Amino acid sequence: MEGKVIVVTSGKGGVGKTTVTASIGAALAMQGKRVAVVDMDIGLRNLDVVMGLENRVVFNIVDIIKGKCKLKQAAIKDRRIENLFLIPASQSDDKNAIKPENMVWLANKMRKEYDVTLLDCPAGIEQGFKNSIVAADEAVVVCTPEVSAVRDADRIIGLLYAQSITPKLIVNRIVPKMVENGDMLSHEDVVEVLSIDLIGLIEMDDRVVVSTNTGTPLVLQNDSKAGKALTRIAMRLDGHPDLAIENPMAQKGFWKKIGLKLSRKN
Amino acid sequence: MYDDIKNNENMPVRLKGVGDSLWVSINPLLPVDRLQNELIKPFERLKHLAINARVIIDPGDHKNCDKLIEELGNFLKTKFQVGHVSKPNAIKRSVNKNRIRQQDMGNSWHHYRSDVLMIAGRVRSGQKIETKKHLLVLGDLNPGAELIAGGDIIIMGSLKGKASAGQPDKEDTIIMALEFRPTQIQIGGFVAAGIPDTSGKKPEFAFIENNAIVVDDYIKNNPFSRLAWPEVR
Repeated sequence: MEGKVIVVTSGKGGVGKTTVTASIGAALAMQGKRVAVVDMDIGLRNLDVVMGLENRVVFNIVDIIKGKCKLKQAAIKDRRIENLFLIPASQSDDKNAIKPENMVWLANKMRKEYDVTLLDCPAGIEQGFKNSIVAADEAVVVCTPEVSAVRDADRIIGLLYAQSITPKLIVNRIVPKMVENGDMLSHEDVVEVLSIDLIGLIEMDDRVVVSTNTGTPLVLQNDSKAGKALTRIAMRLDGHPDLAIENPMAQKGFWKKIGLKLSRKN
Repeated sequence: MYDDIKNNENMPVRLKGVGDSLWVSINPLLPVDRLQNELIKPFERLKHLAINARVIIDPGDHKNCDKLIEELGNFLKTKFQVGHVSKPNAIKRSVNKNRIRQQDMGNSWHHYRSDVLMIAGRVRSGQKIETKKHLLVLGDLNPGAELIAGGDIIIMGSLKGKASAGQPDKEDTIIMALEFRPTQIQIGGFVAAGIPDTSGKKPEFAFIENNAIVVDDYIKNNPFSRLAWPEVR
């Protein structure tokens, strides 16, 4: 059976596309899939750093497309997680080094080689974005509960629909306390505007910064809320679409919790 | 197709489609051969559509025209193979002037070509819908999306983006939405930005009053409820 290509995109920069891509990739690999993550941000590569593989980059995606190396030579195997591979971006070229038809060709090769291919899409809607979505079978849109991120995600969703891709939504960096106080959009507000299927809610988690800087996968950290949420998202993406979505809640005292449970029953 | 004929009150013969029949208004005071000659032109234009068609010959307010109608009917049957010819149903026509006017309007709707662009779905950021007609959106307008219409804009959903009605200079148009929270609206040449959040989810509409855009509750102050009878906008 052929694998599938999933693009992770957002429109706005800095909402967590790269972290989400790396974590979902790791989680899927840990569930036994053969996974490749591809850095599509040519000229500004950083997926290799987030995954802690920067010192092992030899070939990159532009080399594959120009025929300088084979797909298997460029794919870097993760040492901690089996079946996880990274195809890094080139740091010296720019986004016009790849054309959409190259990506279609590459995606067809990847489908034969891997169960799941995750494309880490660059911010914006220019060449890099077009290259990423042209070959994708599915799309995951990452959005934070901010008005600016919602508007950009909305635009991206329109463009994805134009490519006949029905995207799924991840709301990232939710701070439950701020939502409760009305200082932050709730995920319901975001879903109301974007009106696409929700596939996961990720709480704001300081561990993400540590994980990114040290290059250790978030999903390997047992006490990370974001890591757990991402593991569940990976399960929903592959094989368990009906897994319930957990709503991040503010930590409350023991008695308050009991009160909540009682009031819910009524 | 028959606009030129229909709009001219002095024509001896007028033809329009009503329901599944052809409504032929004639001036019965004219001689029969003149009427027959006048009938040839529009029926020739109909070509095969005339064959087996139901025809109603309407002599207007004149009475005792049964013989004339029969004669013209036979003429049409032989020359154009029309199906059934009759005079108008007496109940349909009333002497009351007001009623006649409404009746005419009712008939005019049957073949009124739409001045409305009706769209279903969510209009997303970066998408822009432009039309010279009225615009009806069954869905929501997201922030960053844009609607431009020559006439009114009606949104059966929430308006959170930008809406411009009556472009470029029609100032008697309105913008209506079930949830009225636009980033900016324009009516004709007037612009209003940052309309404050009113009491939440209720249908509201914007219109021009004293050279300014005003937003009002649509249920309480429906601008069209005052019209005497339904009319085409």
